[in-house]
Amino acid sequence: MPLIVIAEDEFLLADMLAAMLEDAGYEVASAAHGRDALTLVRERRPQLVITDFMMPLMTGLELAQAIRSENDLSTIPIMLVSGAQGSIGRANPDMFDLVLDKPYTENSLLAAVQNLIPPNSV
Amino acid sequence: MSQELPRLSTGISGLDAVLAGGLVKGASYIVQGQPGAGKTIFSNQIAFSCVAKGYKVLYVTLLAETHERLFQALGTIEFFDRSRLGISISYVSVFQTLRDKGLSDVVSLIREEISRQGATLLVFDGLLNARDRGDSALDVKTFIAEVQSQAAFVGCTVLFLTSTRIVEDSPEHTMVDGVIELHNELVGVRSVRRLQVKKSRGSASLGGYHQFEITKNGVVVYPRMEAEFAHSSSPDTYEPRSIDSGTEGLDSLLGGGLPQGSVTLVFGPSGCGKTSLGLNFLGRASAHEPALHFGFYETPARLRSKAQAIGIDLETPLNSGALELLWAPMTENLLDKLGHRLLEAVKARRVRRLLIDGLGGFERAAIHPPRLVEFFAALTNELRGLGVTALATWELRDLFGPTVTAPGPGISSLLDNLVMLRHVEVASRYKRTLAILKVRDGKFEQVIHEIEFGRNGLFVAAPLGAVSGATTGLASPSDRTVQSQS
Repeated sequence: MPLIVIAEDEFLLADMLAAMLEDAGYEVASAAHGRDALTLVRERRPQLVITDFMMPLMTGLELAQAIRSENDLSTIPIMLVSGAQGSIGRANPDMFDLVLDKPYTENSLLAAVQNLIPPNSV
Repeated sequence: MSQELPRLSTGISGLDAVLAGGLVKGASYIVQGQPGAGKTIFSNQIAFSCVAKGYKVLYVTLLAETHERLFQALGTIEFFDRSRLGISISYVSVFQTLRDKGLSDVVSLIREEISRQGATLLVFDGLLNARDRGDSALDVKTFIAEVQSQAAFVGCTVLFLTSTRIVEDSPEHTMVDGVIELHNELVGVRSVRRLQVKKSRGSASLGGYHQFEITKNGVVVYPRMEAEFAHSSSPDTYEPRSIDSGTEGLDSLLGGGLPQGSVTLVFGPSGCGKTSLGLNFLGRASAHEPALHFGFYETPARLRSKAQAIGIDLETPLNSGALELLWAPMTENLLDKLGHRLLEAVKARRVRRLLIDGLGGFERAAIHPPRLVEFFAALTNELRGLGVTALATWELRDLFGPTVTAPGPGISSLLDNLVMLRHVEVASRYKRTLAILKVRDGKFEQVIHEIEFGRNGLFVAAPLGAVSGATTGLASPSDRTVQSQS
């Protein structure tokens, strides 16, 4: 079961996102900010990281920069899910493999996830 | 020697005046009010004002509502700038940190975040949730003390938002430097928003309730006139000089004209010529003496039509910019908004001739009528200080009869001059009459005169024939001869 790490400070969004992904058959580990998420990524080596932008202690962009700077993590796909900072994400294509604007539908989310996690890893 | 505290301008019109210059930099405030009172718009407006000045803002929430919903709501208001999100203003939720780790971890997170962001302003929305989480009042007191001391250390101003009413002797209240309470109350059938600064350490803020409204530009506060203008903002440079009333024959009755920098009440029943007398006054507008009509009854279009019909040329001064017509419909008005709007219009064009048509419009807007005396005292003092010569009309309720209802007790004495207009029935004819009842510090004609409409508006005609009871509107012949004193 592929593992996805979620970095989202807003608990309602984090809970909803986790429920959608778990229902679709993914394993999910959540962190309330970028710094905890980075710890999780180092420990668990997920197949995908889904991150918000504005978070305490470490933003989504800072999280992506940290992941990309570590050799053994740098190839992990990262999806930015953001309401207002999608443009910042798109301006940093080397950091984010995909930018999904809030609000999103379950279908668009799952399609994006399937796009980033190769089928052979399922 | 007293020292001025460094201030952070709020960017909310009128609020800096209430706060004696703005928020104190590095100080902590509780902003409290029931849901719907306007706390969120209030605090976000201050936040975006800081952002516009190039400062960084940290907006921390403990709420269940998502930030995206907040942005959607704020998106309808002018000050909100989505492009600054995540760049100069960060909205972060610490709900999970509070739930999983407790208040002390939230304090650590906020301390680190203020420093990391270089924030000038911290907004903490959800003090109620922090209270619920605290095991004792001491926990919340410690939380507030720690957050505010850490913020103050780096010069960051803090707004703690809460929807509960925090009582005066609660730990939260005693800890912070200021408490601002927002109200949205029903008064009769209408709702009125009011703001009160309940605590303001080290600052002489304006006390009591101040009306405010939420517009597409955000919160606009109207400081209570009598509090803001307890003393006239301009020195009274009174020089005895008269200005032309614009009504033929009236200046001689007034002892030479309207005293400059005075307020004259023109009162009488409907249709007796009050507005026409005022239009004569405005018709004398010039670049040297700009004029303003501040009215509640006729729209500008109807007023122009009326002036044209009675032979008063308003078009020339309107076209040259010497005259402005401002109309405030008699609907849901706010007393202090009217007062501030009037003063701003006067200041903007250095108005010298003002017609307020009529004072009843202010009276109707007062949700607490007993303060009208203080309100008019502040307004008239300010107008005198600005060198404005003003006519204000007041409509008497009864067309005829012995009862004359002057503006509320105490208000008439604030006015310098009193001119009464009446319909008088004499020998089966109605006559319009004018009587001067008071000219402050001046001699005036005490004989009642008839007034008539001529080719160029209203004019003072002959003294009224010898009758008695004219001021009641019901005259009877008198055998005494009338002699003009002028």
